[in-house]
Amino acid sequence: MPVDQEPDTPLPASDAAPKPPGEEAFRLLVDAVQDYAIFLLGRDGQVLTWNPGAQRAKGYAASEIIGRHFSVFYTPEEREAGRPGQLLDRAAEEGRVEDEGWRVRKDGTRFWADVILTALRDANGTLYGFAKITRDLTERRQAEEQLRTLSIEQHARAAAEESLKVRDRFLSVASHELKTPVATLQLAAESLLRARELGRLDDARLETGLARILKSTGRLGALVSELLDVSLLSAERQHQEREATDVVALVREVAARFDDVMDGDSRIRVDAPPDAVVMADASRLDQVFTNLIDNALKYSPGNEPIEVHVTDEPELVTVSVADRGIGLDAATEARLFEAFSRGDNAAHVPGLGLGLFITQQIVERHGGRIEAQRGPGAVGSVFCVSLPKGAA
Amino acid sequence: MTTEGKRILVVEDDVTLRETLTEVFLDEGHEVRAAAHGSEALDHLDGWEPDLIVLDLMMPTMDAFAFRARQRELGVAADARTVVISAARDLGSAVEILEADSWIAKPFLLAEVVEVVDRLLASPEG
Repeated sequence: MPVDQEPDTPLPASDAAPKPPGEEAFRLLVDAVQDYAIFLLGRDGQVLTWNPGAQRAKGYAASEIIGRHFSVFYTPEEREAGRPGQLLDRAAEEGRVEDEGWRVRKDGTRFWADVILTALRDANGTLYGFAKITRDLTERRQAEEQLRTLSIEQHARAAAEESLKVRDRFLSVASHELKTPVATLQLAAESLLRARELGRLDDARLETGLARILKSTGRLGALVSELLDVSLLSAERQHQEREATDVVALVREVAARFDDVMDGDSRIRVDAPPDAVVMADASRLDQVFTNLIDNALKYSPGNEPIEVHVTDEPELVTVSVADRGIGLDAATEARLFEAFSRGDNAAHVPGLGLGLFITQQIVERHGGRIEAQRGPGAVGSVFCVSLPKGAA
Repeated sequence: MTTEGKRILVVEDDVTLRETLTEVFLDEGHEVRAAAHGSEALDHLDGWEPDLIVLDLMMPTMDAFAFRARQRELGVAADARTVVISAARDLGSAVEILEADSWIAKPFLLAEVVEVVDRLLASPEG
């Protein structure tokens, strides 16, 4: 206690107090803090000191709490789990421990607290007790939660709006695609009637007219079943039948089906290990390989071979389908998997532009990926499907 | 009134519809040429002046908008009437941009096509 203070240094008003100014100043500081509960715990966790910040946060007056064990601030669940003791042990061991969690006020209400426990040791390293600083973060947490909820809602709304937009675009393109074959069908039939009126309906005219009608009905039929496929796919999103499926057997089966149609003139070469099993909906995967091989055949005029490679990797099975056909230009590559998009260089190839869209949807439902690139030496194209072995 | 012996250029990417429209106009007694897209249509306009262009809106390689822009640039078939055929929904605004004389929405009846074409051919521009 300094008694030989310089005369010009004013003493605190309570100059009769026996404490040194340093200690007094510290007490004033702790007492002035309203936003933090700052207090000391004994070695066993009993409350030794109390400040107004602690009273404000926890609701106890100093006389009500000093001497009691600090576990009263914890929820019954945390007390049961031994959490208060664990925190003291860790603070003693590591010197300091920080914790965020629910704490209980005197009136039983809960608040979200950020707590720092610091072990206090004397010069010999003997544990004296703990300094505990607690901050009530309830408001901050509520604000954060509001933001989080808001952002989840915003995302959900944006996703719903996007899916509506996609559906609208889909319907608009679908109806557009339907109208051309309907127009042709209408006009071709009427043109036959008109030719009869004009006395020009010979066999040749009848034959070309009927061929146009059949072509249009074929196209309408194909479009309707592709549209059904797309709507079935979205209906299947909820439940999918997955079973152990041998991709190699499936690819060979699909290839054999095409070979049959082509009277045994085999253009499809399959290079594969004995087997490669994934968890999948086999009939959907069949559709994937059928679409890819069908595309490869359609887009490669002449008798160039189609090469199918199956690779069995530790986590994945990959299937690549390579053709030496008309290949991909940059614009086509960018829009390849969009619904109704077709290569600018593919006007002569029949089809509606839903095949690759459906293929991609199926692959992604299986947690897989599909990629397309130009073939080696910029000849033809290569489509590569990778499927994870476990169910996605 | 019916018109005959006029020159019609059909520009439509769907091969079946293109052929059928060609046949319909041939039945009506016109001279018809057909193109699968705008660029092919421009080839026809080199040295051949149609009275009417039947123009699909969306086509690969060169669509109706690009075709009309190029046609104006080159100053070819300047007197030809133009009718747009399309399945697009707001054909009106497309027709305005294209400065076309009329439009026919897909699908359509043969009688509609013949009626519109006859009307346009009977009232040459200017």
